[in-house]
Amino acid sequence: MGKMNKLLNKSLKSFTIYALIVLATSVPAYYYLVDSIWLRELDEHNEIVADRTEKELNNLNLTETELNQSVTLWNKIQPGTNLEKTTLDNNRNDSTYTVLRKNIYVEHNEIDRFRGLSRVIKINEENYLLTVETNVEETEETAIAIAILTFLFFLILVIGFLILNRRLSVKLWQPFKNTLTELKTFNLNSQSKISFEKSNILEFEELNVALNKLIEHTVSVYKSQKEFTENASHELQTPLAIIKNKLDILLQKEALTDRQYQIIEDINKALTRVSRINKNLLLLAKIENHQFDDSETINVSELTEECLEQLQEHFSNKELSVHTSIEKDCVVTGNRVLIEVLTNNLLLNSIRHNSQKGTIEIKLNESGFIISNSGITTLEKEHLFKRFKKSSEESSGSGLGLSIVEQICKRHQWTIDYDFAQETHIFKINFRAIQNFF
Amino acid sequence: MDDKIKGLQIGADDYLTKPFHLSELAARIYSVIRRKQFGNANLVQQNELQIDLLGKTVKFKNHPIELTKKEFDLLLYFIGNKNRVISKSTLAEHLSGDFADMLDNHDFVYAHIKNLKKKLNEAGCENYLKTVYGTGYKWER
Repeated sequence: MGKMNKLLNKSLKSFTIYALIVLATSVPAYYYLVDSIWLRELDEHNEIVADRTEKELNNLNLTETELNQSVTLWNKIQPGTNLEKTTLDNNRNDSTYTVLRKNIYVEHNEIDRFRGLSRVIKINEENYLLTVETNVEETEETAIAIAILTFLFFLILVIGFLILNRRLSVKLWQPFKNTLTELKTFNLNSQSKISFEKSNILEFEELNVALNKLIEHTVSVYKSQKEFTENASHELQTPLAIIKNKLDILLQKEALTDRQYQIIEDINKALTRVSRINKNLLLLAKIENHQFDDSETINVSELTEECLEQLQEHFSNKELSVHTSIEKDCVVTGNRVLIEVLTNNLLLNSIRHNSQKGTIEIKLNESGFIISNSGITTLEKEHLFKRFKKSSEESSGSGLGLSIVEQICKRHQWTIDYDFAQETHIFKINFRAIQNFF
Repeated sequence: MDDKIKGLQIGADDYLTKPFHLSELAARIYSVIRRKQFGNANLVQQNELQIDLLGKTVKFKNHPIELTKKEFDLLLYFIGNKNRVISKSTLAEHLSGDFADMLDNHDFVYAHIKNLKKKLNEAGCENYLKTVYGTGYKWER
């Protein structure tokens, strides 16, 4: 499945990238805005200075010599301005300029940017060229300041996103998580009802409604399927019984030939198998329908010994060597009948799928039950516990034995595992497994 | 199976689930009748055989015959189904109860019958247990 991402993290990533782009493009925009405002204001300032200079100097009504002295003095002590005689016409348009120049008033080498205005003014009917220069913040400094500020805002934005995201994922997705938890605990087999919390979010409510519909449908299909199995199996019992009884009666006819007897016996055998399959299907349906009480305390050690005892002759018939290591008085909680069926099924399988003079090993303790028997090839694990999936050709079993075993294990919340190692089939039941569906 | 327990608890003498063989039914009815007639200390006289149902012992003309549990069970089954043909598969079902057909091999029935016949024979009992049609059996008297 690869790396799983939370939905909100995905949107967070897009939001963050988008914010980064927007803020990054805002840096030059802000810079141009600030710079142009700066320059305009400074131009205005320079013009005011120029206007004032012209007016004040004219108002002084200085003589030619006084004026020349004043201009010289002016040029000396007024930094950033310069006044000199010019031949330029005073109708000339003002010119503005930006210039980079060394700042001579500070010790270290620094280049400052200046905004200048040069204008031709008239003092005492003579044309003078006035230049006014004002220090402007340098381009880079402005840009850096804006960039730093923008980055700070970006950080604030991202941190805010993260916090919001965390809060939202808890709050916003709560109904979704509730639904998910409900779904996870839902088990078709347990016949428990599922109810979703009401949500006032349209999407979640829609999801819940759709899920409810789906589950209801599934449950009803599942129920009717189980009912069908149970009913069909049950209804078949009577006709099967009738056939069996009629065959028994037929068997008592005096005039039967050996051939006829053999046919009856064959029918009988097939019939017995049908009955067995039928009974097992019924048993499966009953287990699935929870028709067995499972609160008995059972001494499995004794139970296993009893089962082994009953099968003794079958072991010796096939000359099997049986090794048992059964711990005394192992106790489990469950249904006696079912556990007996489970043990018998596994033991019978170990006999049936064994070779002549093979071995069977039975281990039982508080935590589990292991039955292993000699075999030739491994069985297909994924089909092993499925109904009517027979893994070997020779058997005429019902094909339901292991399905029943699995169902019984499920019912008691045990796990069953199959393994094949060193020419041995191993079935391992763990009594202590905490089983999770899905 | 819960039904079975419930049935027996409310007073049934026995419980047999469908589908069953008539011979199985006959043997069980026979056993119920025996219990009703003789109370607890019941002895069954069959031909020259005296069967103690409680002690699970068999005597031929007062000589005890050692039978295994399965052989004793078989003997009773035959006596409950006198003069009826019983097939090997029916006997297999009777002997191994719920998992007879799980074992395809019904030879164990043959082994038990052979032993039973042999023991009865050695005690001097007439051969009442006949083999019919090759794999069927019948107790004739």
